[in-house]
Amino acid sequence: MNNIIHNAKLYLSFLSASLKEMLIYRLDCIAGMISQLVTQLVEVIFIWITFQNTDNLAGWRFEQSLLLYGVMLISIGIVDFCFDELYEIGPKYIRNGDFDKILLRPVHPLISIIGASNEFTCLGYLALGLFITISMLIKLAIPITFFLIIKIIFFSIIGAMIIGAINTIFSIASFWTYKSNEVIWTFFRMYTFTEYPIDIYNKFIKFLITYILPFAFVAYYPTMNYLGIDKYMTYLSPLIAIIFWIIAIKIWNWALKRYRSTGN
Amino acid sequence: MLKTMLELGKIHFKEYTIYKSNFYLFTLNRLVEVIVYIFVWQAIYNQTGNAGGFSIEQMITYYILVVSLSSIATWGINEDMSHAIKSGKINKELLSPISYFKYYFGIYLGEIGFAIPVSLATFILCSIFWKVAMPANLINFILFLLVIILILPISFFIQMIIGTVGFYTNSIWGMQILRKSVISMFSGLIAPLTLFPVWFQKIANILPFKEFIYTPINIYLGRIEPNEIWIIIAKLLAWITILYLIAKIFFNNAVKKITINGG
Amino acid sequence: MPIIEVKNLLKKYKIIEKEPGMIGYFKNLIHPKYKEFTAVNNINITIEPGELVGYIGENGAGKSTTIKMLTGLLTPTSGQVIIDGLVPYEKRIENNKKIGAVFGQKTQLWWDLPVIESFRLIKKMYKIPENEYRKNLKKFTELLQLEELLEKQVKNLSLGQKMRCEIAATFLHNPKIVYLDEPTIGLDVLVKENIRKFIKDINKEKNTTVILTTHDLKDIEDVCDRIILLDKGQIIYDGEKQKFKDTFGNSITAEILLKNKKENITQKLYDEDFEIIEENEDNIKIKFSHDKTTIVKIVQILSNYGDIEDIHMKEAELEDILKEIYRGVKIC
Repeated sequence: MNNIIHNAKLYLSFLSASLKEMLIYRLDCIAGMISQLVTQLVEVIFIWITFQNTDNLAGWRFEQSLLLYGVMLISIGIVDFCFDELYEIGPKYIRNGDFDKILLRPVHPLISIIGASNEFTCLGYLALGLFITISMLIKLAIPITFFLIIKIIFFSIIGAMIIGAINTIFSIASFWTYKSNEVIWTFFRMYTFTEYPIDIYNKFIKFLITYILPFAFVAYYPTMNYLGIDKYMTYLSPLIAIIFWIIAIKIWNWALKRYRSTGN
Repeated sequence: MLKTMLELGKIHFKEYTIYKSNFYLFTLNRLVEVIVYIFVWQAIYNQTGNAGGFSIEQMITYYILVVSLSSIATWGINEDMSHAIKSGKINKELLSPISYFKYYFGIYLGEIGFAIPVSLATFILCSIFWKVAMPANLINFILFLLVIILILPISFFIQMIIGTVGFYTNSIWGMQILRKSVISMFSGLIAPLTLFPVWFQKIANILPFKEFIYTPINIYLGRIEPNEIWIIIAKLLAWITILYLIAKIFFNNAVKKITINGG
Repeated sequence: MPIIEVKNLLKKYKIIEKEPGMIGYFKNLIHPKYKEFTAVNNINITIEPGELVGYIGENGAGKSTTIKMLTGLLTPTSGQVIIDGLVPYEKRIENNKKIGAVFGQKTQLWWDLPVIESFRLIKKMYKIPENEYRKNLKKFTELLQLEELLEKQVKNLSLGQKMRCEIAATFLHNPKIVYLDEPTIGLDVLVKENIRKFIKDINKEKNTTVILTTHDLKDIEDVCDRIILLDKGQIIYDGEKQKFKDTFGNSITAEILLKNKKENITQKLYDEDFEIIEENEDNIKIKFSHDKTTIVKIVQILSNYGDIEDIHMKEAELEDILKEIYRGVKIC
């Protein structure tokens, strides 16, 4: 327990150091925030175009689909804030030789790396996600109770943890190629599958995003719960998050051991 | 000089091919992108049968070409420039015996040299899973390729402009995402532009990004006649000139003022 | 004809004044405050072809800024730089063809490719004639012991191996001038010696002008004939290395084994022509300079206080002299 608190404190201090570093690049930082918003706007436009051509997608209406999207964005915002540095293991740490310094620190290297995340654009995601979620809840006449708010906060964090675990698993590619960000990105991008009701997909993809890379638990099942379509599936998500983190840390440690022994 | 640039391109290309996994990875990456779009449109067509004047086969072909072309349309040198600026490697690059422009154009050629096989592989892989329409005819196919070649300098100059802004800000990460999102907005990357509101289409008609994706695909599908192509080529040439001038002015100005990390 | 001519060179920077704390950072984000800072203040330098010049000074003295202006990476605020007849920041490409540069550990080698690929690219970029390239490659391979490294990927090289390759890459096109900014930082002694010897050999053979900036004064001691010492943006010494040592390094330290000492002599001998730096049970450390006293006189005095059994003298090294200068002894 002490160990956990100690690591959590270290995490916080790394975080504040990296926040400051980020602000040095302020102009670009602002451009980044704007562009992330534009990127999201592009996705919203696609959803809008979709519903210009049909009135429902696998039984979901426009507002319901947007709610799903908004819920997804909140989790993505948290992921971006907390786990962004995973992308840098290959290109930044290992390539520049900073990784060895991290190995010398008296903390697990994952904590050092994840703690250095400083993606400010998450503010854009979070704001947009919350805006869409709240306005769709109102539009759909779903009462915003205290319990619902708690649920949304809880499942958004759990959702982010699930994606974080998946990103961590694929970040081991950094030990083999410095283009590792592409590996993580490729699998991370599969979250877009669940920006739409998963019934539009064939069996294979449905199975993939429910059980293998459980992105469906990030937003799809929670949204089903908020909408009252399927109340129970989403309560599996904390369990899935825990299982995936155990797997992620095991795999990461194995890869690290391999990296250390080969020296690369 | 061209020879030197090609050498630079070759060495950058080689750096990619050191990891064979890159190739499979990028192709898989493209495939992931296309899946969502295709399933969404299939769901729509199952209910309505038509959208924006495209048949389902044309629509699927549209998206397969989108993901195939997107690597050529969006890849480039900004990651390398960004890395060079942050690590201070840029000092060494500015001291190379060929101009910074030519240096990076060489690198850009290497990048595109790798994007082309990825594009082809994506296309071939997709045509295994879905039914893809063939080019309308040979002339249209040649014109399709011509437009793609003409967008390369445009894409390059835009990236050079962003790269030189990085001399001031020391980072171009944000602007480079902005570049990609503006391209995806106005190029027809998310959906055929005819499905957008009219005012939006008007903006897209002026900007050069439409020619990155939407125009070549419509030429491929035979939805643009060969005689309409001259206007498109004239537009592209005009943009090449304008962007070249802007990039040069930006760069010359920036070089005068450069202060590089750590003094 | 001098190959490097610097006249009244001045460089001022505008820097953002950082405020402490998170709130300060946010303030900076919205409304940054600038202040001016003079990095290089009116310096004049003339260097002839083939000179080996050590350019030294403390951190922030303006060394790197000067080097950047000499290479054309930075435009001066005022003053003039002429490198082999050209103004480097106006005719950058022309200038680049004639120079080579190493900046610390930053490498120009292509990370994922074998070293030889980078060399081949350099050959193409600088249009090095085939036979010249082969000759250089053979020679450098021998001098820097590169045989086994050429086919290795750069990322798999150790720091020392990487630097040796980097140095070779820098000299490959027979540059007239080479700027070496911290070329030996973080390297072990053997590699350092290897690189120093290489620089001297090439200088002798090709009359390459070398400007060396380093914190390791052994580099300067070994390689350079001339020293330019910079402090707070101004040159405080420019001349031969030996003369520099003679002028400012006339102090000698001596360690004297003094047995059967009866009393503490530091307090007794505070008014002599030498200085006692350290006093222990049976040895003392003193410092003196030739123009004031001699070791014979000192021995005479000290023998009154105990039995002298051994004397060990050491002349000041560059490093000691500089330490002294940095400590505040003004020399001009």
